[in-house]
Amino acid sequence: MTATPMDELELDIRGQVCPSTLLTTLKEVNGNFDRLKAGTLRLVVKTDARDATGTIPPMVKSMGFEVSVLKEQGYYTIVIVKEQQA
Amino acid sequence: MIWFLAFTLFAIGSAAGFVMHRSDFCLAGAFRDLFLFRQGRMLRILMLLAVVVMPLYEAGRLLGLFSVPFPLFGPPSLVNPLGGLLFGVGMVLAGGCVVGTLYKMAAGRLTSLIAFAGLLAGSALYAEIHPWWAKLARRGTLSASVTLPQMLDLSPALLLAPLAVVACFCLRRWWQQGLLHQESYAEGHLQPWKAALWLALLSCASALVIGMPMGVTTAYAKLAGMLEALFIPGHVANLALFATEPLNFIHPLWDIPLRGGPGPRLDGIALAQFPLIAGILCGSACSALRLGEWRFYPRVPIKQCLWAFVGGTLMGLSARMAPACNVWHLMGGLPILAGQSLLFVAGLFPGAWLGSRLLRKFVI
Repeated sequence: MTATPMDELELDIRGQVCPSTLLTTLKEVNGNFDRLKAGTLRLVVKTDARDATGTIPPMVKSMGFEVSVLKEQGYYTIVIVKEQQA
Repeated sequence: MIWFLAFTLFAIGSAAGFVMHRSDFCLAGAFRDLFLFRQGRMLRILMLLAVVVMPLYEAGRLLGLFSVPFPLFGPPSLVNPLGGLLFGVGMVLAGGCVVGTLYKMAAGRLTSLIAFAGLLAGSALYAEIHPWWAKLARRGTLSASVTLPQMLDLSPALLLAPLAVVACFCLRRWWQQGLLHQESYAEGHLQPWKAALWLALLSCASALVIGMPMGVTTAYAKLAGMLEALFIPGHVANLALFATEPLNFIHPLWDIPLRGGPGPRLDGIALAQFPLIAGILCGSACSALRLGEWRFYPRVPIKQCLWAFVGGTLMGLSARMAPACNVWHLMGGLPILAGQSLLFVAGLFPGAWLGSRLLRKFVI
């Protein structure tokens, strides 16, 4: 079994007006839905909006994706990938 | 005594700023998200805040700790919903209300700094139309009474108690369904429902200390007047708004007179609101610094900056037209069923709807 090569799309939305993070992320998820679902793309969102760590994960999870949130130096990285089958 | 009051208000503001930053307490989002994402969580949280504050204000009134209706609340007018509508549009475009702008600005957000500049510009703009608007507001006056219980000639408890019971029933159901809980991965996150309880207590603390709930926008008008007076002092001296002194009462607890208005001078309004503003800025900045999250990102799309200024200007203008901001009406007026506040909130909903449409179309 070989691993599928995965591209990365980075969205740097730090400093933007609220609720830009959520709206922009949803737009990108919808625009790249097939590639994300196929597991050939992972979406990396950089944001300094603390509330986005609470709004993006549940919305994106409900669309069938896996989400992880990491704290970096002064901002958060939200990684959206294909949901792993159990 | 003055320094004691100022320091206490600064402490109240600091606690509020800290709590709001940790919980991402967004009053603008409460209305905006209803239309943008079909989410009502923050509105439920806001209801919790109002329900907790209601009996506390009533207890304070009955104990003679402060006067209800609070000073600065006037009779309801047909212009109040229009102020609410414009305010609703402004807060959505600015990405935060008058207090949200403060705590986000203190955490390093450029768009909030620009919205704050807009708030001052809007306040200054209102000073130019004040005589005309005040006349319109007087013509549209609906009642000589200030609160709904006064209008119906009923004891406030008779109206507040059934409302509180219904609200408690709803809140209990929402609590059981997990609808008051906010999932978050942010470090040091405070649940918004806990923040609502803190803010309810802080609103009451403000009423105890200065005889009024938390409010900031008359000080914005004052600040705008002070800045304007640096360049065109003659013009500022002739503006009718800056000569008014709507605050004129004796605090029942401390027995000290408090007088003041939006004019560019140090008076009762400056004492009540400047320390609160400084406290919110300080509390939020401390929270962001402690979490290592204080950062300034200047690379923001120019259209977001422009719309943040437009939103701030609309808020500054409408906060004087309303004639107060959302924090004053939601945390101070709604729990005492002030007519102005009920009408203002009625205008906030269509305003937030319109703002959300503009946000999607032009800003993001």
